[in-house]
Amino acid sequence: MSAELNTVKKALAAANLAEVEVIEKQGALVLEGQVKNWQQYLEAGYAAAGQDFRGVVNDLEVEGLENFKQQCESSPEDFSLERYSFDVVVIGGGVIGCAIARELTRYNVKVALLEKESDLARHTSGRNNGMIHSTMAVKLGTKKYLYNLRGNRMYRKVAEELGFDLKWPGSFAMLDKNWQLLLGPYARRIASKKGVQGFRVLSKGKVKELEPNAWEEQTGSFYMPETGVVDPYQVTIAYAENAMQNGTTIYLNTKVLGFEKDNNRITAVRTNRGTLQAGVIINAAGIWADHVAEMAGDRFYTIHPRKGVIAILDKKTGSSQSYILGRAQLSSEAKTKGGGLVPLLDGNILAGPTADEVPGREDYSTETHELQHILDHHLVLNKTLQQSDIITYFAGTRACTFEEDFIIEISEYVENLVHAAGIQSPGLASAPAIAVDVRDMAAEILKNKMDLKENPDFNPKRKLAPQPVRLSLKERNCLIENRPSYGQIVCRCELVSEGEIVDAIHAPLPARTLDAVKRRARAGMGRCQGGFCTPAVINILARETGRQVTEICKHEPGSVLITDRTRRKGCEQSAH
Amino acid sequence: MHTDVLVIGAGPAGLAAAAAAAEHGAEVLLVDRESRPGGILKQCIHDGFGVIRYEEKLTGPEYAYRDIEAVRAYGLRVLNNTFVLDLKQSVDGFSLLLQNPIDGAFRVDTKALVAANGCRERTSRQVFIHGDRPAGIYSAGTAQNLINLHGYLPGRKVVILGSGDIGMIMARRLTLEGAEVAGVYEIKDEPSGLTRNRVQCLDDYNIPLYLNTTVTRVHGTKRVTGVSVAAVGADLKPLPGSETLVPCDTLLLSVGLIPENDILEPLALEFDAKTGGPVVDQRMMTSVPGLFSCGNATHVNDMVDYVSESGFNAGRAAANYCQHGGSQGSVEVVSGNNLLYAVPQRLVSGEEAAIYFRSDKTIDRVILVAQAAGKELFREKYLRIRPPEMQKIVLQPLSPEVESVEIGLEEVT
Ligand SMILES: Cc1cc2nc3c(=O)[nH]c(=O)nc-3n(C[C@H](O)[C@H](O)[C@H](O)COP(=O)(O)OP(=O)(O)OC[C@H]3O[C@@H](n4cnc5c(N)ncnc54)[C@H](O)[C@@H]3O)c2cc1C
Ligand SMILES: Cc1cc2nc3c(=O)[nH]c(=O)nc-3n(C[C@H](O)[C@H](O)[C@H](O)COP(=O)(O)OP(=O)(O)OC[C@H]3O[C@@H](n4cnc5c(N)ncnc54)[C@H](O)[C@@H]3O)c2cc1C
Repeated sequence: MSAELNTVKKALAAANLAEVEVIEKQGALVLEGQVKNWQQYLEAGYAAAGQDFRGVVNDLEVEGLENFKQQCESSPEDFSLERYSFDVVVIGGGVIGCAIARELTRYNVKVALLEKESDLARHTSGRNNGMIHSTMAVKLGTKKYLYNLRGNRMYRKVAEELGFDLKWPGSFAMLDKNWQLLLGPYARRIASKKGVQGFRVLSKGKVKELEPNAWEEQTGSFYMPETGVVDPYQVTIAYAENAMQNGTTIYLNTKVLGFEKDNNRITAVRTNRGTLQAGVIINAAGIWADHVAEMAGDRFYTIHPRKGVIAILDKKTGSSQSYILGRAQLSSEAKTKGGGLVPLLDGNILAGPTADEVPGREDYSTETHELQHILDHHLVLNKTLQQSDIITYFAGTRACTFEEDFIIEISEYVENLVHAAGIQSPGLASAPAIAVDVRDMAAEILKNKMDLKENPDFNPKRKLAPQPVRLSLKERNCLIENRPSYGQIVCRCELVSEGEIVDAIHAPLPARTLDAVKRRARAGMGRCQGGFCTPAVINILARETGRQVTEICKHEPGSVLITDRTRRKGCEQSAH
Repeated sequence: MHTDVLVIGAGPAGLAAAAAAAEHGAEVLLVDRESRPGGILKQCIHDGFGVIRYEEKLTGPEYAYRDIEAVRAYGLRVLNNTFVLDLKQSVDGFSLLLQNPIDGAFRVDTKALVAANGCRERTSRQVFIHGDRPAGIYSAGTAQNLINLHGYLPGRKVVILGSGDIGMIMARRLTLEGAEVAGVYEIKDEPSGLTRNRVQCLDDYNIPLYLNTTVTRVHGTKRVTGVSVAAVGADLKPLPGSETLVPCDTLLLSVGLIPENDILEPLALEFDAKTGGPVVDQRMMTSVPGLFSCGNATHVNDMVDYVSESGFNAGRAAANYCQHGGSQGSVEVVSGNNLLYAVPQRLVSGEEAAIYFRSDKTIDRVILVAQAAGKELFREKYLRIRPPEMQKIVLQPLSPEVESVEIGLEEVT
């Protein structure tokens, strides 16, 4: 047994987990056996991490937990993609997969992106804080750090090209003990080492002056001006639409079930909709990336979900705060991006996230104690906020490896597979940089097989549908005159017109569910949470897609909104 | 475009305000964001509207029809499908940016403004229900809209959380449409809606009402598959171990209404935290001169008749304001013992004033007393008083030296 393996054994024994078996496979550590609970499962994983192996594969069974490794049921089966052939197949329609697809279209390659859900960004990319972090809180020397730094600096240009909103409110990491201000010079040194531009240490008085409603208990703050805010869903859609404009094909409801291989090379990707031929495969499957790696025969990491709950506050709170407010994390061991209170693009404030280790990868349920944590820990950072300002809350799961770092590399065991995995926070902030590197790795592989050239028709600018609220009164009236539906408001809280909803339904990547319309056009996002506009949006969806209202779903197949028609037609129906 | 009085909202409050303002000689513009006037009454197809005003039991649409006809008779301008995009104060009144599909976006200046926006429903998130977010969670009003206006059934097996009036009315409506209502769950120890609705909508249809019980969790990821319900203790917190699963495909919420005044936010007017609406005097004038509030936007009413009454008052006063100006009355109405709230919160001396109030709990045998500087102005006995049932009293004109009036309920021992 190697020395490293022994070290791991000792670490496990120290954690009272001596019965866990450790073996080495394909350069990775594999844990086997059974433990009593999830806590032990995690402890074993962490005890095994940090050695000179490719990663930790945690195959431990957990007493009383049966289904935690299972993926949810497969989407409907057909053969519509059978024998299609692509130079690159990207697995996963989160921000990472979409950004990679878009970057790949700079070359003359045929790209397909496969996403198992009925819309993009249904998972982590649609369930996060939307912050473009500064690098202050990430560890030097990690991939997280490198990509965060580069990603942050790329965002301005990407936002301009793709036409999504981005602002740089800057963030406060507040202190709550007087002695902590003594850390100022040390923090300044760290900031300069990490390339945090404009870093400052603010006195208590200065914080009060800049942010009068800030936390009562603050004793000063670190200030990182280069912290940005985006709508992560919009970023994902923007990348995807531009990728499509440049030739990428996106297949929704398409789940990768396995691979066909010829020695160390993947030849085809098996999905619920048939088998596609593929030159290079990119694993951007988020919380399921380890499953994809396993199916491909290159298993060297296990992902464990870390759930984060987020609350959204009423727009009327927006004017009470200008900066992102958080607490300073003085220990580098902290496993979360602290979060806090984030002023969002549309005037709402976001509070959270929490961080809890849970077995369920797509377990988006929320619990009372999680919301309580947000109230106690985050809401207090702005003294004007109250529990009653919360209009909604939801959860996401971070795709964590036991090494707690991104995995962005060409597979050592499968010659045409690239991993973009373990992309927990700050994955959104890092996405533009990750995409560029993964594109180059794919190009590296492709270059031996084909005549790789730049795509002469590549257009970095995304085509945008009209946005009436951004137009001058005159321009808006011109638009309404041509298409009166732009003048018909449907969502009362967010003032979204019917025209914008129709545009979302007929966008390059069509919004086909109530939630997709909500995410694209903001209808239903406001304080009444769709109470008023839901009936109208259901009708518009049915009309525009030629379906029955009883077929319109909230977010995924099976989530029907209307079960039946009543015995008599409603008057809004007969009036039409 | 210019007008004397602009009324936002063509529900019963706005319709009454528009008619009254026109009657008193003002030029009136009535705007509503929906395609037809009538407000929420359009979807309230049950009867019981108008018992005070007409001494008849009308349905919501019938009640609204009479007001719509009255407005038509004045020939005033009505704009449907019209939204208020922006609102600000101007030198001689208010300037609004309106938009509809026909006229596009356009500015209107008005001397007086009546905000009759109605109310909206509290959502599942505002009562902190946990679990995932499957389809099948609706507010009772949305379900009422789907069934009565569109002919769509939101589900087949329904649990209703909260015993507000709309919830109880929907329990009956769903039953009549062939859905099964598993029960109405109320966290408090008595229903929050009217007694007549409990009898006519639940008891008559054998729909169980569970008091001191709440929904703690929603199950299902695609469509609701059930809810967990639990008994609650005196602190209204779920009692450990009392949770049971009720299978259902739909959860309806009838957990309260909130006056809707979002468009007034830019005007910085005084609000009453207890009603959720602006502070008004008996003319329904807010703290901003020339801005009036009425109907459910001022406070949530239990009877449409009172809503219309407040609309008439606001409309008449708005027309008057255009000619004579004026500002909010300065006499303060203090809600004292056992009162949830009282509206109006201010009074103009020298004019009769109707005061509407709710008790903060159910009390048997009480006396309402209104007094100013220790002098009793009014007294009335009630055998039983319940928070869902709003009460009305009329105060005689106050003399000019009165600075505040205190209203309270005294228990008879
Ligand atoms: C609460 C929370 C807050 C966060 N806050 C921030 C922040 O403020 N800033 C920041 O930079 N980062 C933040 N993050 C992290 C960030 O959200 C993620 O790093 C990023 O979204 C990951 O994107 P992804 O594309 O890798 O994953 P995902 O968005 O999960 O996408 C992966 C996709 O792959 C699909 N898929 C999986 N398996 C298959 C299969 N077999 N076949 C087909 N498709 C498949 C999935 O359905 C999914 O859509 C936060 C995360 C959480 C949970
Ligand atoms: C869902 C629901 C169901 C109800 N059911 C019953 C019932 O069964 N029985 C009962 O006695 N009471 C019921 N009520 C109470 C009922 O609201 C009142 O009795 C009465 O109808 C309120 O009248 P209103 O004019 O104040 O408001 P509403 O009738 O709500 O009218 C307000 C009008 O203003 C419009 N409006 C609002 N904001 C704007 C804007 N910014 N621009 C343009 N137009 C705007 C609205 O679209 C609406 O047409 C219900 C209330 C609700 C919310």
